[in-house]
Amino acid sequence: MANYFNTLPLREQLAQLAKCRFMDSSEFADGVEALKGKKMVVIGCGAQGLNQGLNLRDSGLDVSYALRPEAIEQKRQSWKNATENGFVVGTYEDLIPTADVVLNLTPDKQHTPVVKAVMPLMKEGACLSYSHGFNIVEEGMQIRDDLTVIMVAPKCPGSEVRAEYVRGFGVPTLIAVHEDNDPKGEGLALAKAYAVGTGGHKAGVLMSSFIAEVKSDLMGEQTILCGMLQTGSILCFDKMVEEGVDAGYASKLIQYGWETITEALKYGGVTNMLDRLSNPAKIKAFDLAEELKVIMRPLYNKHQDDIIDGTFSRVMMEDWANDDKNLLQWRADTAETNFEKTPAGDVEISEQEFFDNGILMVAMVKAGVELAFETMTAAGIIAESAYYESLHETPLIANTIARKKLYEMNATISDTAEYGCYLYNHACLPLLADFMKDIKTDVIGKGLSSDDNGVDNARLIEVNTALRSHPVEAIGSVLRGHMADMKKIV
Amino acid sequence: MDTAICLDDLSVNFDDRFHLHHINWTIEPNQHWVITGTNGSGKSALAAVLAGVGDIEQGTLSGLPSRVGLVSFEAQAELIAKELKKDDADIMDVISLGTPVQEMIFDACADPELATDLVEKFGLSHLLDRAFRKLSTGETRKVMLIRALSSKPDLLILDEPFDGLDVDTLAMLQQHLASIIETTPMVMVLNRFDEMPDFITHVAYLEKAADDCGQLAFKVDRQDKSAFAELYQLLHLKTTDLQVPAPDSASKLPSLDPDQPLVKLTDATIKYDETVIVDKLNWTIEPGKHWQLSGPNGSGKTGVLSLITGDHPQCYSNDIFVFGFQRGNGESIWQIKQFIGYVSTSLQWEYRVSVSCKNVIISGFYDSIGMYSKSTDNQKKIADEWLALLGMKDRADQPFNKLSYGDQRLLMIARAMVKHPPLLILDEPCLGLDDMNRQLVLALIEKICAGHETTVLYVNHHAEDQISGIENYLALEKNH
Repeated sequence: MANYFNTLPLREQLAQLAKCRFMDSSEFADGVEALKGKKMVVIGCGAQGLNQGLNLRDSGLDVSYALRPEAIEQKRQSWKNATENGFVVGTYEDLIPTADVVLNLTPDKQHTPVVKAVMPLMKEGACLSYSHGFNIVEEGMQIRDDLTVIMVAPKCPGSEVRAEYVRGFGVPTLIAVHEDNDPKGEGLALAKAYAVGTGGHKAGVLMSSFIAEVKSDLMGEQTILCGMLQTGSILCFDKMVEEGVDAGYASKLIQYGWETITEALKYGGVTNMLDRLSNPAKIKAFDLAEELKVIMRPLYNKHQDDIIDGTFSRVMMEDWANDDKNLLQWRADTAETNFEKTPAGDVEISEQEFFDNGILMVAMVKAGVELAFETMTAAGIIAESAYYESLHETPLIANTIARKKLYEMNATISDTAEYGCYLYNHACLPLLADFMKDIKTDVIGKGLSSDDNGVDNARLIEVNTALRSHPVEAIGSVLRGHMADMKKIV
Repeated sequence: MDTAICLDDLSVNFDDRFHLHHINWTIEPNQHWVITGTNGSGKSALAAVLAGVGDIEQGTLSGLPSRVGLVSFEAQAELIAKELKKDDADIMDVISLGTPVQEMIFDACADPELATDLVEKFGLSHLLDRAFRKLSTGETRKVMLIRALSSKPDLLILDEPFDGLDVDTLAMLQQHLASIIETTPMVMVLNRFDEMPDFITHVAYLEKAADDCGQLAFKVDRQDKSAFAELYQLLHLKTTDLQVPAPDSASKLPSLDPDQPLVKLTDATIKYDETVIVDKLNWTIEPGKHWQLSGPNGSGKTGVLSLITGDHPQCYSNDIFVFGFQRGNGESIWQIKQFIGYVSTSLQWEYRVSVSCKNVIISGFYDSIGMYSKSTDNQKKIADEWLALLGMKDRADQPFNKLSYGDQRLLMIARAMVKHPPLLILDEPCLGLDDMNRQLVLALIEKICAGHETTVLYVNHHAEDQISGIENYLALEKNH
């Protein structure tokens, strides 16, 4: 199978990359009507599969689960997940032929074998749905002409998809129709109804393309979202310990610090995150971020280039073929880092202290978000997509670190994200070695001393202007404005 | 006063008309107390005990100073009765004018100078020659106050001293009291918190244990701001004639068939792996029949509730009829939830997001945790009414998660009730609450049970937290 994106002419590549529109809530007036009474069969009962299924069923839709015979016979976790939640479970042969919509919610890695097994069983004119376009775009999977192919991708981990629904809300969701497979022109209606069924319409839906989703999603997850937080955690922790900061304190500052500072990011973008700092600290964070951006820009460019031309997915698939040797080794290494092994100390850290003593972390988030956004938009991905895949998702990943450190993050994210994170971490740690040599506890661990209180007015104005005029802030304020209702939850 | 006054497990009988039971209370020198409580809880009785009234049946009362000044309606009535009796007792055929005010005040007065000054300040100068029993109630009250204050007592007991005083006199009296706090410990009975002088250091709250019987329920140090605020609310809830705010006329619930049960579970079963948590439960809840559900931990109480609310995934593999829907036929959970008000600890925990108190209440209209829709003016108005009812008006815009646990619980009940749901589920509503908050919550629930639109399903294993009005009981047992 050839990389689908690479088969397209440049004009079409650019058009697809630039596809992204924030949909109006009035476009969802039909609710779940397009799916009412249709048989939805989910393949895979992991976090996304189970939680999306629970939401869809609670929205009044008919959901069942098709699992492989081994999973059923051996009563594996996926079988337990589905049966304990009162769903009908059957084999592919039992359920797929009856399905009007097949929801492929297996890990990316399994898409090719799963789709190959399922496609011949699907009835004429049915719909195949993905939560991620990797299989179509990067692996070039060809789908039977009579089948409609759509994507509904909640932009959150499966557990959040469920938790937000139960709270009466949803998570921002990206939908797309694979234009090569929309024989009856019903793809959009089905995707919209599906988004309503999971609650996504309440949080905002982006109409995108398979290509824009894949290329931006891969870029965001491997750089700022997972890669930067992973690398930053390790560097900041080791630095603090080296400088004599109590290890328990350092561990806590990082584990919960990402969550706290990116909460400010979620509310009011990079500007608000830096506004939480004192003026001298803000200037410090700004300068550090500028320095980081210069050092890391080539790395961000390389990640984006490799994603666009397919190098990344090819290399990753080679590792898949090699039983994940590289990835598994790295996963084991992560578990052995000092940060991971040092439990958060029993110390009280106030909300503001996470900012005051975590200036470098703020700088890293700023640098990572802006670099990812700049790199994506330079590659032709439009600002809306780039915003969601960088700034918007950072707090979500930070939450997983707060829960159970890097282990939880890597366990929660997709295998493409984890592989990308592995690549980024490997390249970024040595890249920042020199930079870290000059770092002291004033920017990580202890905060600025009161002697550093003065600021130059002209410089402060410069910094504030630069912060507020960055393009990620412009699109951010528009999109956050769209989600006016959401402001109150966050 | 140099030593503390100690009431140790003290029970007092007041002519068999009223009892105080098992009072434990210490008044240290330099403390100034307010006694408050519900009607009939024995506030005045407790104050009177300090003046030597009542028969001690049990326990000890020690450290009472010899000179105690008491001003109360009872003492006032007694004094007037005494005066009238003097008249009756006059066997000579002359008209007795009774004791003049002059004599009432200055005979046996420890500080005539102070008395003169107070007579002036209370505006009684022109009444000095008049007979005491000819005075108006307000005037006799003033005489009582002057007598008590100028007797230089070691303990001053003032039962509703501010009742019926005009604004200027009230200010004058408050000022005078404030000027003697260094030398004179005070105990006041007050029904209204807003009359409490600044120098009061402690509050004792009495509650009615049974008819004709009161007990001391809480003692609050005024320094403890949150406990003080809770006491304020409790008093507010207990002493105000509460009206539960009306539902939102614009978001009316679909009407239910009154002849159908609200809930019908048939052979309901919950199991994980092979462990059966709930085994073939049959349960019907008819409209208007309040239920209490009990059972030990692990007996599946919460599981059964979540089958009803639709939060349990196995509700789709059970025979469940709720609010006109046979579950699993294409209805959405929001169609079910609209009929239910739900309060539980776990729901409260879900509210970690920062939401204002007012929005927590409004979110009850949307069955959401947090607010994701724009609320209407009427919904805001109803939320304000609820906040006023809870005595939390001033906290409308405060973040929910900054409130005390007890206040949060009260708001959750208001959130559940705001739409006047046909079914209100209270899953251990008193769990984790201290005594005062428990009282607050129960007081609120009783107000709700007394209404007729809402059927209450109350889950609790604290036997003492019974709610009047519940007559049906379901006890679950541990199956595994």
